[in-house]
Amino acid sequence: MTMPKDGNDGRSMPQSGDGPPVVLATHGLTKRFGATLAVDNLDLTVRRGDVFGFLGPNGAGKTTTIRMIVGLIYPTSGYAEVLDHQVPRDKLHALRHIGGFVEVPAFYGNMSARRNLRLMGSLNGHIEEKDVDEVLDTVGLRERADSKVGDYSHGMKQRLGIANALINKPELVILDEPTSGLDPQGMKDVRELVRALGQSGTTVFLSSHLLHEVEQVCNRAVIINKGRVVVEGPVSELHPAHSSVKLLTSDQEKARATVAALVGAQQVTDDEEYLIVEAGDGTVREMVKQLVAQGIGVDAVIPAREQGLEDYFLGLTQSADVDADRDEAAAKGGVR
Amino acid sequence: MKLLRKEFTKLVSQRRSYVGWGGLLAVPLLMTLAMYLNRNSPHHDNGPGGLITLATHNGLLMPVAAIMILSGFLLPLLASMVGSYQLAGEAETGTLKTWLMHSISRGGVLVSKWGVAVIYVVIGLALVAAGALAAGALAFGLHAHLLTGQTVSTAQGLWLSLLSYLYVLVGVICVLSLALALATFTNSSLTAAIAALVIFIVMNILGAFSYFDFLKPYLFTSHTDAWQNLFSRPIVWHPIITGLIAFAIYIAGLLTVAWYQFRRKDILV
Repeated sequence: MTMPKDGNDGRSMPQSGDGPPVVLATHGLTKRFGATLAVDNLDLTVRRGDVFGFLGPNGAGKTTTIRMIVGLIYPTSGYAEVLDHQVPRDKLHALRHIGGFVEVPAFYGNMSARRNLRLMGSLNGHIEEKDVDEVLDTVGLRERADSKVGDYSHGMKQRLGIANALINKPELVILDEPTSGLDPQGMKDVRELVRALGQSGTTVFLSSHLLHEVEQVCNRAVIINKGRVVVEGPVSELHPAHSSVKLLTSDQEKARATVAALVGAQQVTDDEEYLIVEAGDGTVREMVKQLVAQGIGVDAVIPAREQGLEDYFLGLTQSADVDADRDEAAAKGGVR
Repeated sequence: MKLLRKEFTKLVSQRRSYVGWGGLLAVPLLMTLAMYLNRNSPHHDNGPGGLITLATHNGLLMPVAAIMILSGFLLPLLASMVGSYQLAGEAETGTLKTWLMHSISRGGVLVSKWGVAVIYVVIGLALVAAGALAAGALAFGLHAHLLTGQTVSTAQGLWLSLLSYLYVLVGVICVLSLALALATFTNSSLTAAIAALVIFIVMNILGAFSYFDFLKPYLFTSHTDAWQNLFSRPIVWHPIITGLIAFAIYIAGLLTVAWYQFRRKDILV
């Protein structure tokens, strides 16, 4: 796979505070469908070079937000801003800088992939045949480029969606659940592609309900639920630092006293014959050293449960799930 | 212009386009064949009389005879189909959202879709005319027109045929605009096409009852046959002009509705 070159050099971008320029921001973005608030006063900031994870359970308002950013639906209040262009007011300028897809990428089934890319690509400016070849290579579809898209598998359409997102070398690539419905190899390919895009300097806005996916490819993320931001920040900070180990020694009681002296008594609990020690990074080494120094034989130190984003996310959103389901049903009823 | 060209690319890549065009071309050919095989029958039962009967003596009148038959149902049907498919059909397949995610205005999209539907009908009418003229010339030869006792030259006859086609085209654009306007309210092209056709037929039925005579001037369907006045001598222009004005008002009104509805429509599919 080859990566598209970064074609963003030398363009002016608005500055907002410290750090790289802001490529995408939403300001009080709100969408109401009938009685349901699908997106509620959403403020996001995505900076240049970010691979930004947009996380939330199904029905959280992710797709509605993306549709507002690309001007497919009109906000009830608030607006999005892409570079210095407001959406919806200055939609046509903003859309020049955006590539991507919403939900399942859709193409003209009776045309080849190549023709689809030519047709779509030339809507946003001039493209050449080598641009088409380049994106087809990027997503590994070059060999099937002249087959009708109607004959494509789901995974191929998904990849064509990414190719189409890149065809105009946009500054902002928006991908709505790009790995949904893909097999493991396909997921891996797409994630590598997204990571590589980020490394090449393209700003990526990736919506997903898969937390490990965001952990793997994103540097920043926001978690939304019921149309509201639950938490926002660098992925490394979203990730809690604490982890725990299971400890098995020749003398558990003596070991408990030793470990408690090191990390505090409340950090040590029991699990069957094991001791569970809540220990931050670096503490484990010190703990083992002290145990051995006191003549306690260490039989096993097992990393127990690393509390990942997954659990964190579930904890944040679970209580709201019942409500979210009800709201989703109401939204569907309200839209029709 | 660029958008219109792209819409045309999409149009010609669809199989359904050719089905419609094929049907339009088949009618004058089959009609001529039937009339040719039946030419020596003493009853001359060639359906509606007048121009159609005249066509059996003169191939030059065949395009006009063909349009007479087609303007009642097949043309409005295809116009509804192509008018509704441009928007609602693309909403169905999801390509409308892919299309609209580009730096193109909603107004431009709407106008280009309307424009390509018009082009579709124009091509269809051209096929009818060419097919009818070729078949008519082959079967009955081309002679000077014979109109209610008067003879007009071949050139003038062709000119009158062209004018009647243009009139029919404007009438069909009414149906097409209706279908396009309805397509902005639904995401199902079939719903929009059927709704447009139902409205067309209901208008026709209303126009057929004298009780509803007071409505007649306001129904565009009352004006669809006014082009036949081109073939009377002297030409009665008044109903033709009235018809064109009615069509223009309908088209402008329907496009305004379509624009108003599509301009800020939430694309949810």
